[in-house]
Amino acid sequence: MLAQRMYDFRQTLADDGIVFCYSGYITEEVLSGIGSAIKNKLTVETTDKRTARGVFSLFVEQVQNVIRYSAETEVRSDNDGGGRELRYGILTVGRSEGRYFVACANMIERRDVDRLRASLERLKDLDADALKALYKETLRGDTPQGSKGAGVGFIDIARRASNGFEFDFFDISDTRAYFAIQAYI
Amino acid sequence: MTTIKLPATDRSPEIDFDFGANRFKMSGESYPENITEFYGPVIGQLEQHLSGLSDADLVFEFELIYFNSSSAKVLMNMFEKLDEAASRGNRITINWCHDEDDDNMQELGEEFGEDLEHAKFNLVVTSA
Repeated sequence: MLAQRMYDFRQTLADDGIVFCYSGYITEEVLSGIGSAIKNKLTVETTDKRTARGVFSLFVEQVQNVIRYSAETEVRSDNDGGGRELRYGILTVGRSEGRYFVACANMIERRDVDRLRASLERLKDLDADALKALYKETLRGDTPQGSKGAGVGFIDIARRASNGFEFDFFDISDTRAYFAIQAYI
Repeated sequence: MTTIKLPATDRSPEIDFDFGANRFKMSGESYPENITEFYGPVIGQLEQHLSGLSDADLVFEFELIYFNSSSAKVLMNMFEKLDEAASRGNRITINWCHDEDDDNMQELGEEFGEDLEHAKFNLVVTSA
């Protein structure tokens, strides 16, 4: 039963073209470890460095979004007595129909859904020149409210996703929603 | 202190800033775990150095393989500071090095370079 259940799980991933999957608390250590694994795999798999670098970039930006914004958290105490907030998320990397994809999903607050949807829809409508202009404007400007990073992660994803990206939301309770984004190269 | 020398790690670039000679180099990958912790002291010292300079020759070399969007923000800020220092009469040369097959790094460099009004910007192709 156990082996069959795991085999079925493996098959479910394979059917979607997923070659790599992680579900759990996503930390900077996870990013470093999985990042190197993905980089090595891409180097073996593709001779096209541009594609390999692009997939790696999508991976880094998406993982850092989860680390910064996932609403599903757990505080774990460090050895030195300090608390560390861990953020839960799922990430997959795969290949289907000749395209690579990188997808991430995590919980967010429902009150943030409209704002996030609006900004991602706006990015989807912009062409390369407009994305570049917005990217530079954001790099120069002050960090937007509620952002812990440069606030340019999603713009970078939109710029690098040469075959576009899609995203979706799913309400899971009165206050929480699940957010997923998948970008293609 | 007249130099900052930091070895490259998996996630942070090598930093070789020689304030005495006015030669500055950053090379490798940049997606540090804590962007402020890594770049804060480096950029702080550079800004302080620039503010005291006039009529000086400075050369900056960037040889980056990959940088994330948070690092891009640091680079943009740094380029603005360099251009400002150049507008005050310092001669600043920025050499942006990229692999010959890495047109993406070339484009990213051009995007930073096109905003410079006073500093001199060169694209340098290194063989892969």
